[in-house]
Amino acid sequence: MTDQQVFFDDVSVGEQIPALSVTVDETQLFFFSAATYNGHRIHYDKKWAHAEGYDDVLVQGPLQAALLARAIGDWIGGRGRLVSFSVENRAVAYHGESLRFGGVITGTRLTDEGAGLVDLDIAGRREDTVLMPGTATVQLPRRGARS
Amino acid sequence: MNDDSLIDAESASRVGTVAAAATGEVNRRDWQRWAAAVGDRNPLWFDPEYARANGYREVICPPLFLQYAVLGVTHLDTLRPDGSSGAVSGSLAFPRAPKRMAGGESFTFHLPAYHRDQIEMVRTIESITEKEGRSGRFVLVTWHTIYRNQHGDPVAEASTSMIARP
Repeated sequence: MTDQQVFFDDVSVGEQIPALSVTVDETQLFFFSAATYNGHRIHYDKKWAHAEGYDDVLVQGPLQAALLARAIGDWIGGRGRLVSFSVENRAVAYHGESLRFGGVITGTRLTDEGAGLVDLDIAGRREDTVLMPGTATVQLPRRGARS
Repeated sequence: MNDDSLIDAESASRVGTVAAAATGEVNRRDWQRWAAAVGDRNPLWFDPEYARANGYREVICPPLFLQYAVLGVTHLDTLRPDGSSGAVSGSLAFPRAPKRMAGGESFTFHLPAYHRDQIEMVRTIESITEKEGRSGRFVLVTWHTIYRNQHGDPVAEASTSMIARP
């Protein structure tokens, strides 16, 4: 693989991680429900979704979370590690909407063992609406270190 | 708690008890199907050579997939009318607050999980509290969940919450 590894030494507070833009369609909703063994009708049954007061079938909260984690994983590369990940479901999203998943660095610190940890504020958004705010901590490799 | 509480005595008595326990095997094809459904092509989940070059002994399970590795089997006639299984909440009912919505979840990851790891999940009811929000009273339930592998080592921990409204 020829991916660019990001290092702890090269990041700083305030920096944005590359954002991921995704428009989820109904096929993806179906496959995600299947992959998570989720029978909840609000994700595939429009009549049911209407009866619960929604305009259409909904994007699964866990899919929004997984897309946020994908954005983080793409950024931290093969030697980065997701240490913690915390999100809150704040607003619903529908298929066909353009969603963006990203984050900003809020802190960097070294553990007693010398591991480089980076704290992030993360969010899934539809235009200016925050659908899923959260925080994450990742470990990044240090230049010249073995791990 | 009083007679007016949204929290019935039966539910209140379950704080601190185990809401759900399950075991399951981590399966590479299952996590790869999940990653494909997310559009996540991270080679750590797919490419053994890449994973080894980055310090792992094999491809690893995406951290957020671990929670699905322990899902059991739900018979169709036991589903709720809305198609959901209700298994994860330990069947807390709240007859006085029947409308439920997911709150949030918070994971800490300790170790990678590999194909065929045996995961044991134990979910405990951490707290049940009644709160007053802008749109009225609600019940906030929080669970703590630990996932251990076949060596007894914690792989991940999670704190999950749910909101129930009248």
